[in-house]
Amino acid sequence: MAAILEAKAVKFTYPDGTQALKGVTLDIPEGKKIAVLGSNGAGKSTLFLHFNGILRPQEGDIYFAGTKLSYNHNALKKLRQHVGIVFQDPDSMLFSASVLQEISFGPLNLGLDRGQVLSRVQKAMEATGITNLKDKPTHFLSYGQKKRVAIASVLAMEPEVIIFDEPTAYLDPKSIKEIIALLETINQQDKTIVLSTHDVDIAYSWADYTYVLAQGQVIGKGKPEEVFQNASLLETADLTRPWILDVYEGLKKKGWLPVTAPVPKNKAELLELIPCKSN
Amino acid sequence: MFTIDQYAYTNRLRVIHPGEKMAFALITLLIALIAPNLVIPAIIIFLMAGITIGVARIPVRFYLKLFLVPFSFLIAGIAMIALIITTQSLAVTKGITFLGWTIGVTPASIQLAGKIFCKSLGAVSCLYFLSLTTPMTEIISVLRKLHVPALLVDLISLNYRFIFVLLSTVDDIYTAQASRLGYVSLRTSYYSLGHLAVNLFIKTYKRSRELFVALTSRGYNEELKFLEVNYPFSWLFLFLAAGLDLALISLTIISWR
Repeated sequence: MAAILEAKAVKFTYPDGTQALKGVTLDIPEGKKIAVLGSNGAGKSTLFLHFNGILRPQEGDIYFAGTKLSYNHNALKKLRQHVGIVFQDPDSMLFSASVLQEISFGPLNLGLDRGQVLSRVQKAMEATGITNLKDKPTHFLSYGQKKRVAIASVLAMEPEVIIFDEPTAYLDPKSIKEIIALLETINQQDKTIVLSTHDVDIAYSWADYTYVLAQGQVIGKGKPEEVFQNASLLETADLTRPWILDVYEGLKKKGWLPVTAPVPKNKAELLELIPCKSN
Repeated sequence: MFTIDQYAYTNRLRVIHPGEKMAFALITLLIALIAPNLVIPAIIIFLMAGITIGVARIPVRFYLKLFLVPFSFLIAGIAMIALIITTQSLAVTKGITFLGWTIGVTPASIQLAGKIFCKSLGAVSCLYFLSLTTPMTEIISVLRKLHVPALLVDLISLNYRFIFVLLSTVDDIYTAQASRLGYVSLRTSYYSLGHLAVNLFIKTYKRSRELFVALTSRGYNEELKFLEVNYPFSWLFLFLAAGLDLALISLTIISWR
């Protein structure tokens, strides 16, 4: 699978001296669901800002679709058209008091005409389930609703890659479920999704591929089944093991599951593995 | 502030084209200002109050409370106009004379004060009609259609959005301080309030940086582009508003003669 986004030996230090990225090399395969894990301050958000051309690596390079990013006006415009970021705090994204105008901002910047913009806005609102909020001012919305508006505002630009910075933070369980389902739908439309999270259970069940960041470096990568069985890696990254794997290992140890049992990806698969009680 | 905004989005005249409401409010306001006597502004006050309460269905109590806001300023202001201090004790002056100085009122000064009082309240009633029936987002979109400079309109719309962000930030900080007894005494109140102001500044600055980053990532290029919504025209409202304004204008012309 070709990589749509790549970071090669990217180093970045903030003006206050914080070394956020210390030579990060990773690639985002096209059409996949990628989870980037790491504790607070691991460098996830900084990396994401590089993928959108907001920050420029002090050393190293960013590649989009195989081409090195050149940071001139047109290259940045193209990159931002193809790579969208949904930031963690929706309040920092929403600048307009009108939901409709907020969502139309991105597509209008792409230079589309009014009709196309309207149909994209409509589609994005349907996908995120906020059509009923169209005439509401953004300051009357709840946190979860604002989050959806923020997602819709990026969806309406129809990027190929969408980066979600902690999309499930501060949300209630029902909203988390809905957001994850939405991510699934977006991915099925051949879009690449990158998401950062602390929630190991979500990352484990959802992702196709995982990167683990710690202190500005990639310290682990691989399929979630591999990454989350590596106890020392999880320890270094301050992460815990998903409960599904805990239960799976426990059942194996107590003889309820054969040693050769396949590793379950989610709750349904785990329940499927557990044999019926035989008398 | 919040309540005005809420009514603007939920009142019964919300569906009327914002341009019609703006034109009606502003033309009526102009009539109130140029009217030569106090009768016309007085009619306007009742007219606008009637429409705002009766048609847009803004609760009377809230509307009256809102009127109390400019009332106190107005009373102080017109009292100064009505009162005259003079050394010449005119026959028409009613007042107290002390050491050759007379402080009092004349029929002319009372009339002038009354005129200013009615005109001010008339103008206020027009603005209240507009702000209680028309959401700010729609007023901004009309301004944009009228080709008001983009920079100004962008500033207005960002300001409007950020008033609410700022208020909720103030609210959060205040609650966090109060829950730790930050406002338990006068001394701590001053201390907490100072920190609130400083923090607010820092947070606002941080937020504006975040917003800039988020806008840039969506292709911001020194111009906030907006999708203009077409509102349906209401001929009935236009007809009634034009009729009322024409009647007021004819009244004004008649009273000029």
